[in-house]
Amino acid sequence: MGYGYAGKILRLNLSNRSVSTIDTAQYEEWVGGHGLGSAIFWDLCQDKTVSGFDPRNVITIMAGPMAGTLAPGSTRCEMQGIGPQGYPIEWFTRSSFGGRFAPQLKYAGWDGVVIEGKADAPVWINVINDHVTIEDARGLWGLGTRKTQEEIWARVTGNRLNDWQAVGDAYTTQKPAVLCIGQAGEHLSRIATVMHDGGFAAGQGGFGGAWGAKNLKAISVRGTGGIKVADSKALIDTWLWHKTNFQFNVDNPRNEAPIVNFTDYWIINQSPGAVPIAPIWEPCRPKGCQGCPVACSRRMASGLANEAHCFTTNWPYLGIIPPGTQPTWMTPGEWAGGLAEPTDIHGLAKARYRTTDLLNDYGINVYDVFFADVYFYILFLMDAIGPGKAINCDLPFDKWGTEEYKAAYLKMIAYREGVGDDLAEGLERAAERWGRRKDDLESGLLPYPHWGYSEHNDPRAGVDQEYATILGDRDSNDHSFDLPTHGIPRVASISKTEPVISAERLVGILSQKVLPLQGDPLMFDYSDAGLYSASRAKTIAWGRRYARFWKDSVGYCDLLWPNFFNANAPDFSGYTPEGEARFFNAVTGKNISFVDGMEIGRRTWNLDRAVWVLQGRHRDMEVFAPYVYQVPSTRINHFPVYENGQWRYANVAGRALDKDRFEEWKAKYYELEGWDKITGWPTRSTLEPLGLGKVADELQRRGKLGG
Amino acid sequence: MAEVGTAEKRPFTAPLSEGYLVVDRKKCSGCMSCMLACSLVHEGKTDLSLSRIQIVQNPWGCFPEDIALAICRQCVNPKCVEACPTEALHVDAANGNTRTVDGSLCDGCQVCIDACPYKPSRMIWHHEKGVAVKCDLCGRAPHWIEKGGPKGKQACVEICPMRAIKLVKEAPEQEGDAGYEVNLRNEHWGWLGFPTD
Ligand code: SF4
Ligand code: SF4
Repeated sequence: MGYGYAGKILRLNLSNRSVSTIDTAQYEEWVGGHGLGSAIFWDLCQDKTVSGFDPRNVITIMAGPMAGTLAPGSTRCEMQGIGPQGYPIEWFTRSSFGGRFAPQLKYAGWDGVVIEGKADAPVWINVINDHVTIEDARGLWGLGTRKTQEEIWARVTGNRLNDWQAVGDAYTTQKPAVLCIGQAGEHLSRIATVMHDGGFAAGQGGFGGAWGAKNLKAISVRGTGGIKVADSKALIDTWLWHKTNFQFNVDNPRNEAPIVNFTDYWIINQSPGAVPIAPIWEPCRPKGCQGCPVACSRRMASGLANEAHCFTTNWPYLGIIPPGTQPTWMTPGEWAGGLAEPTDIHGLAKARYRTTDLLNDYGINVYDVFFADVYFYILFLMDAIGPGKAINCDLPFDKWGTEEYKAAYLKMIAYREGVGDDLAEGLERAAERWGRRKDDLESGLLPYPHWGYSEHNDPRAGVDQEYATILGDRDSNDHSFDLPTHGIPRVASISKTEPVISAERLVGILSQKVLPLQGDPLMFDYSDAGLYSASRAKTIAWGRRYARFWKDSVGYCDLLWPNFFNANAPDFSGYTPEGEARFFNAVTGKNISFVDGMEIGRRTWNLDRAVWVLQGRHRDMEVFAPYVYQVPSTRINHFPVYENGQWRYANVAGRALDKDRFEEWKAKYYELEGWDKITGWPTRSTLEPLGLGKVADELQRRGKLGG
Repeated sequence: MAEVGTAEKRPFTAPLSEGYLVVDRKKCSGCMSCMLACSLVHEGKTDLSLSRIQIVQNPWGCFPEDIALAICRQCVNPKCVEACPTEALHVDAANGNTRTVDGSLCDGCQVCIDACPYKPSRMIWHHEKGVAVKCDLCGRAPHWIEKGGPKGKQACVEICPMRAIKLVKEAPEQEGDAGYEVNLRNEHWGWLGFPTD
């Protein structure tokens, strides 16, 4: 197998406890990560319509060729399989996480892990280089994710944690990288995460519950091998090209935030330690995944909330709203930690961080519990929840928002106690159980526009993430476009400064970089007309292809890649599309172009689509929840718009999506993808040139090939 | 103090190295890029076990103790050189007096690994070649186009995105860690919300 690869994939059947290998070269055309996972899932999951909890579900965990080498933000690890979180169908889905698991896996000699079957009792997998054992996990079952990892470290290293440890005839100072579930996963929660180190999580998809159903508590990997790269000189050179021209210079930044500790400003200049978002007023360091120059998370003097990111550190922030204040909806994408005063160092901040740790320890997906938390409070104000009420629940609502309340709330979900049993199903399924789903999706009280997943951004504003989601499987969580288009004006409005770049120049940069669909600025027009244009079909198609290959398969991190706008570069022009292929080719020697990668992404997107079609996908289902069409958004959201021949940033609040126009837009999108406009199914004439003739045959056999 | 009845042993001395790596423990982000770069320029592959710089960390540790940067100190009195029975470990006059292993002379006894007084030992066991290796300040890094050594560049210094590693020419204070663990942070670091003291 070539440069950048370990060469083999570990295949585990937990039912008969067999361990075997797959030659990575067999799947080389898919490159790595997601592509590998989709192709292996296609081949090994015999019945793709089963539940995520079924032993026949196949879970893949795949590294990309860059993981463990030296390229900025390139160690994402991709988990795939049928995800129990999806609603009404548990779609074949994906989730990814960072940290150092993918590198350690490869140093141990494996490009990925495939898990089939179900163990008859709790197990954990111990991988030490070529030596793989299926171990008894009864002593770990019931532990949180931190204790589980610490216990496995102790077992594997004999507690020699900070010194050289012999592994065969080699030595390492590194702890095993452990991936594990907490109590939520053990209790088959559909909103359970799989955790690694302090705060790296595979969240959306519900894979924690899928692991629990397989009786799989943890996978520990430890390797003392290396990864050969094709051209180490070129690789170091490319890193230095990136460092000199595009990285935030911590000693002498070209572009610095206008306000001290203004963490949101990382959107502009990619400064370190910022993705906890709400500023942290405690001595700490930035902390990154292996090989990351941005280092988006932190480790604190208190040791609390270490490595936690983004919404896991910000949901607990709800605890500091004044008691009695009614919470208002804010999507995670809009959540501005903003400019909180440096006064809450010791009390409330620590309470927040403890809550973050509890959440990660149970292994619960923050997205769902955030929305459920606010939903509960509103129901409480409506007198619909409480002891003896329509939803019988004894949470101490008078203490809503406090650490004590949140601890009780999380525990109830982790162990499925009381209404926690409903919430563990995910909020949309819970609302269904309570008879509220239909009405609350009409009014928007339940902001779940698609497939059982909450809003990420407002689907009536920027639309890209939500369009990608409704055409896909889960919250797309793809920040390719919203970071520049929404982030730049948002940072300006929070800090009351001028945007660092005009809408016209920004759109100019973006539209030059979206190879091979470059040259159409209207791809980034967020006016009403822009939401339904043929140009927007290109935006979504480009985003899906890019994500499926460069991010999910190669392993580039969503926060660093693509890089359109870059405030550390003199002309604001980022390293996309040059950087992607330069790093990739230095590592693999494959010598592909950026556009070659986009084509592999298109192929992978079509393969995924075929799986969803087998699971029951039809054009008629790709419809948002009613409120998206009926209730205008009230939230302030600035985006570039093109009106009267001019580009400007405008607040797009006040609109709902037009259902008919969205339906027409779908036809434009299907046409661009070469899918049947009536059914949304891929056609033979699209699949065959992509080398997916076998997939077309299978769809035809099932009567699901597009005409 | 020498024991009664034994001859007092004179400290082993060697010509001073012309360069020393110093690090800022509070500035490091634990990204391990330095380890990847080190093994890349010396071995042509990324391999944490063969990196001459070791970053040891605990995800749940308390800042700043959550990270230790284990760099070779190019000691004034290098115990590793002193201990080596074959003279494989030597002071490399052609490379600014860095303490260096001549692999062709190393018989793999690993005495130097135990002799280095720091934990984890800064002497690295090359399990594939069966010899000891160590930091040479990139003076002999075959997989890099740059000239290394005390007068050249070091891959870890060049790569580090936090600019947390630096080469100095004067021998740092040898007693304790203060000479090698320095403050490389300025007001821009503070502006990000991180401590500068
Ligand atoms: S490259 Fe720099 S920031 Fe990263 S681990 Fe090494 S010293 Fe720390
Ligand atoms: S290997 Fe250890 S004893 Fe030898 S010079 Fe380096 S720090 Fe000093």
